[in-house]
Amino acid sequence: MKRALLLSALALVGPSLAAQGTDNVERIRALLVRPDILCGQFAQAKVLVGLQRPVKSSGRFCVVVDKGILWRTLRPFPTTLRLTRDDIVESRGEETTARLSARQEPAVRMINDLLFSLLAGDMQRLTGSFDITSAIDGKSWQARLAPREGGMQRVIGGIDLTGGEFVNHIVIREASGDRTEITFSAIATGKGAMQADEARQF
Amino acid sequence: MSGAAPARPPARPAEPTRLRHRWFAWLWLVVVLGSVAHNGWVWFVEKRTPETDILALLPASERDPAVNKAMAAVTEAAQQRVVVLVGHRNWGDARRAAAAYRGVLDRYGQWFRPDRTPVMDRAEALAPWWARRSALLTADDRRALDRGMPDQWTASALQNLSSPLGVGRVGAWQDDPFGLFRHWVQARAAETPVRPADGVLRVADSTLVYVLLPVTLAAEAFSLTAQQAVVPVLEEARAAALHAAPGSRVLTAGVILFAAAAANQANTEVSIIGWGSLAGIVVLMWFTFRSPLPIGLVVLSLAVGTLGALSVSALLFDKLHLITLVFGASLVGVAEDYGIHYLCQRIGDRRDPWVVMRELLPGLAFALLTTGVAYLGLALTPFPGLRQMAVFSAAGLVFAWLTVIVWFPQLERSPSRETRFSAWLGATRERWPTLRRDRRTAAVLVVTAIVIVAGLARVTTDDDIRLLNFTPPALVAEQREVGRILRAPAPSQFFLLRAADDEALLVREEALRVRLDSLVARGVLTGYQATSAWVPSLATQARDQALIAGLYATGGPLDRLGAALGERTAWAQATRARLTTPANGLTVTDWLANPVAGPYRHLWLGAVDRQRASVVALQGVDAGDLAQLRAVAGVVPGVTWVDKVADVSALMGRHRRQMTGVVIVSFALLWVLLLPRYGRRAWRVLAPTVIGILLALAACGLAGQPLQLFHILALLLILGMGVDYGIFLEEHPGQHDHKAWLAVALSAASTLLSFGLLGVSATPALRTFGITMLLGIGVVTLIAPCFCTSRGVGD
Repeated sequence: MKRALLLSALALVGPSLAAQGTDNVERIRALLVRPDILCGQFAQAKVLVGLQRPVKSSGRFCVVVDKGILWRTLRPFPTTLRLTRDDIVESRGEETTARLSARQEPAVRMINDLLFSLLAGDMQRLTGSFDITSAIDGKSWQARLAPREGGMQRVIGGIDLTGGEFVNHIVIREASGDRTEITFSAIATGKGAMQADEARQF
Repeated sequence: MSGAAPARPPARPAEPTRLRHRWFAWLWLVVVLGSVAHNGWVWFVEKRTPETDILALLPASERDPAVNKAMAAVTEAAQQRVVVLVGHRNWGDARRAAAAYRGVLDRYGQWFRPDRTPVMDRAEALAPWWARRSALLTADDRRALDRGMPDQWTASALQNLSSPLGVGRVGAWQDDPFGLFRHWVQARAAETPVRPADGVLRVADSTLVYVLLPVTLAAEAFSLTAQQAVVPVLEEARAAALHAAPGSRVLTAGVILFAAAAANQANTEVSIIGWGSLAGIVVLMWFTFRSPLPIGLVVLSLAVGTLGALSVSALLFDKLHLITLVFGASLVGVAEDYGIHYLCQRIGDRRDPWVVMRELLPGLAFALLTTGVAYLGLALTPFPGLRQMAVFSAAGLVFAWLTVIVWFPQLERSPSRETRFSAWLGATRERWPTLRRDRRTAAVLVVTAIVIVAGLARVTTDDDIRLLNFTPPALVAEQREVGRILRAPAPSQFFLLRAADDEALLVREEALRVRLDSLVARGVLTGYQATSAWVPSLATQARDQALIAGLYATGGPLDRLGAALGERTAWAQATRARLTTPANGLTVTDWLANPVAGPYRHLWLGAVDRQRASVVALQGVDAGDLAQLRAVAGVVPGVTWVDKVADVSALMGRHRRQMTGVVIVSFALLWVLLLPRYGRRAWRVLAPTVIGILLALAACGLAGQPLQLFHILALLLILGMGVDYGIFLEEHPGQHDHKAWLAVALSAASTLLSFGLLGVSATPALRTFGITMLLGIGVVTLIAPCFCTSRGVGD
C-alpha cells in the first residue's frame, strides 16, 4: 500500500524524481568515509540453486584506491584473489592457480571497477550501469541496484547494498537464481589497516 | 629545304582519288558520330561510373580459384562496413561522444542500414552451445582432463565458490560446476577485445576507452554518389562527437573512405593532366601558327581520340578504372603528335594537302605502329588496370591518327604561314651539334658511356605492391590504428584449408590450430579466428564428451564435490543425469545460421572445386614472422599459406623481368621493321631511344631508386614514342629541314608536359611512370637531331 502510494506520488512529480535520486546519491556519498586503504573481515554465503546448504566462506579483504582489491579467503581453506587494473590473479599459498589479464580479457577492468565501486559504495560510478533506488535513515542507508542494460540483466538480477560510514552488507542476486551475500565487519582504514603480507601483494 | 614553299606548281591528284578521299571523310564522320552517341549512351543513359576499387587493379590469383574465392569473401565482408571508434579517457564521455556521433548518422538514415544488432545478449545467442556444453572443451581444459588428477578439479571448483565473483557465468552454478563452459566462452570471447557494456560495444587500449560503432552502408561503397554523400556525413558526425565530449578521439576505417579518397584524387589528377596538357598544346600551337584553325584541328583530333578511347574501352570493359583515366589523360600529350607533324609540314606548302599527306603517310604509319605496339605491350601483363590503360591509349591513338589522315587535308585547304616562333624553333636544328668522327663526339660518347655504366651498376629492384597504393598516408595510419585496437586479423595473409567434406575440413583446421596455439604461446601471433573454434569436428566433440563424462562419473570429481559441500548423493546423481545427457553434434550449418557467426561467416567458404574450403585468419601478424607461418602450412596437409601482398609483389617481379625482355626484343623487331625503309640508316632512328632508355635507367640507379615493373613499362613507351621522333627526322634528313624538327620539338614539348604532370600524381606507380617518361623522352628529344643523317654526308 505504502509502495503504491509512493509510486503514484512519483508519477506526479516525475521530473523531481531524478533530482531526488541524485540528491540521495550525494547524501550517501556524504555519509561514507572514503579512505585510501580500507581493510576488514568478510563472511560470505553463496545460496545456490539446487544445493541444500549455503556455501560459506570467510576471511579478510582490502580495498586500496588506485591499486585494487585483495580478497583473502581463510576458511574453509586459504585462497587469495587479487584484482588490479591489469589482471585478476587467484592463488593458493605461493602457487598461482589462475590468472586473467586485461589484455586477454578486457572485461577484467570492468569487473574490477564494478567490485571496487560496490565495496567502496561509489554510487556515482554505479549510476553509469545501474538504476539506483535508495533510502536513508539517519546515518545508515540502503540502495537497490538494477542493471540497466539487457546483457547485464541476463547475468545480474540485482544488487542490494546496506551501509553507514562503510558498506556493511552486499547481496548479489544472479539472474539464474544463485545469490551471494557478503557481510563486512571489523573495518579499519589507513596504512595500519593492512597486514604486512597484504601490503606485499600490491 | 627551308620552310619556304617548294618551287614546283601545286600538284593535283586525279578526280577519282579526290572522291575516294571525300568518301573516307564522310565514312569517318559516321564512325565518330557513332562514337559520340555511344559515349552519350554509356555515360548519360547507362550512367556508368568509374571503378574506384584499388583491388580491381590487381590480377586475380593466376592459378588457384579457392584463393580467389577466399580473397573475395574477405574483401566482401569488409566492403560495406565502416568501423568507427569513439574514444575518451573517461568511459562516460566516450559514450556521450558516441551517442552524438550515432545521432548524426541517424539523421541520414537513407545512407546507413540499420545495424544488425551486435550480439549484446550472449546468453541467448550462445544457447546452442550451452545446450551442447557436455561436448565442449577449451584446449587447456582438454589437456588438464587428459592428465587426470581428479582432486584438482574438486579443489578448483571449491575455490571458485569462495570468490566474490560469479558474474559473467551463463546459467546457474550447478549447471556448470567445474566452469568448463565458462572457460570455453572466455576462450571464444578472447578472439576479440570488444565487449558489450552499458548497451554499447566497448574496447580499450592503454590510454583510452572506446565505443565501437559498427556502421553498415546502404549503398555500394564504390558508388561515387554514395561516397559523396556518406563521407561528409561521417565528417559531420565526427565534429558532433568532438563537440559533445571535447578531448575525444574519433577513428574511422572503411573501404568507402579509401575509395572516396582515391576518387577525389583521381578526379583532380585527370583535370590537371588533361586540361594542363591541352592548355600547354594550345599555347604552343598559338605561338607556332598564330591562327585558330590549326589549334582547332589539333583539339579536334584529341577530342575524337578521347571519344574513341572511351568508346572502345567501354565496349571491352564493364568498368573503367579511375587510374586508367588518370593515365589516359596523359594521352593528350601523345595523340597530338600526328596532327602537329602534318600541320608543321604544311607551313608555307602550297601543294595540294593530299599530296603532302601522301608523302607523310609512311612516316605517320610507322609512328602509329611503334607507339601503338608499345602501348599494347602493357596489355601483355596480367594486371587488369594496365590492360585498360593499354587499350584506352591505343584506341585513342588510332582514332586521333585516322582523324588526322582522313579529315585534316579536307578541313585545312590553305597552308599556314611561318611565324617568328616557328622559324626560330625550326632553325635551331641547324645549330644542333651532330655526330661527327671527331674528338668532341668521342669525348661526349665516352662520358655518356661512363654515366650509363656507373648508373646501371647501381640499379636495384623492388617489387613492393604498395606502389599501386593510391591512398593518403593519414587514412592508412588511421586504418592501422583501428586494426590495432580491435586486433583485426590480417586482411591479405591467411591460411586456406581444403578437404573432401566438412568434417575432414574441421579436423584439418584443428590440426593447424594445434600449431597456431604454440605460435600464440610464443608470441608470434596474438590470436586467430577459425570456424572449428566454434564448431569442433564431430570427432573432437565425441572425444571431449567422453573426457567430460569422466568428471561426472560415479566416484569422480562430481561426487567428491558434492561430499565436500555436504550435499546428499542425490544431488550428484541429479546433476550427473542433467549434465551428461547426450546432445546432437554441433554442425557448421547450425553455426552459420547463428547471429554470433556474423563477423566470422566469411571464414567458411564452403564448396570450391568439388572440395570444401575454409580460411583461418590470423591476428597480430608481423612482417618478420611470415616465413614461420609459411612453414606451418607445409606441415599440415591440405593447408595453403596465402599472402596476397607477397603474391602480387612476386607477380610484379616476374613481369618486370619479362617486360625487360619484351623491351629488348622490341628493339630487335623495330630494327628489322625499319631496315627495308632506312637500310644502313636504321641505327640512326633507334640510337637516340636506346641512349634515352639507358640514361633513364642509369638515372634511377644513381638516384638510388629501385626499379619496378612501372619503370620498365615506361621504357616500353619511351621506345614507342622516341622511335617516332627518329622516324620523323630521318624521313626528312638534313639539318636544313626545319619542319620535321619543328614538329618533333612541339610533339616532344607536349609529351613532356603530359608526363611531367603525370609525374606529380599521388599514385606512386603513375608517378614513376611519368618521371621515367619525362627523363627518357627528354633525352631522346635532345639527342635525336645529333644522330640524323646530314644531307650529303654519307653514313
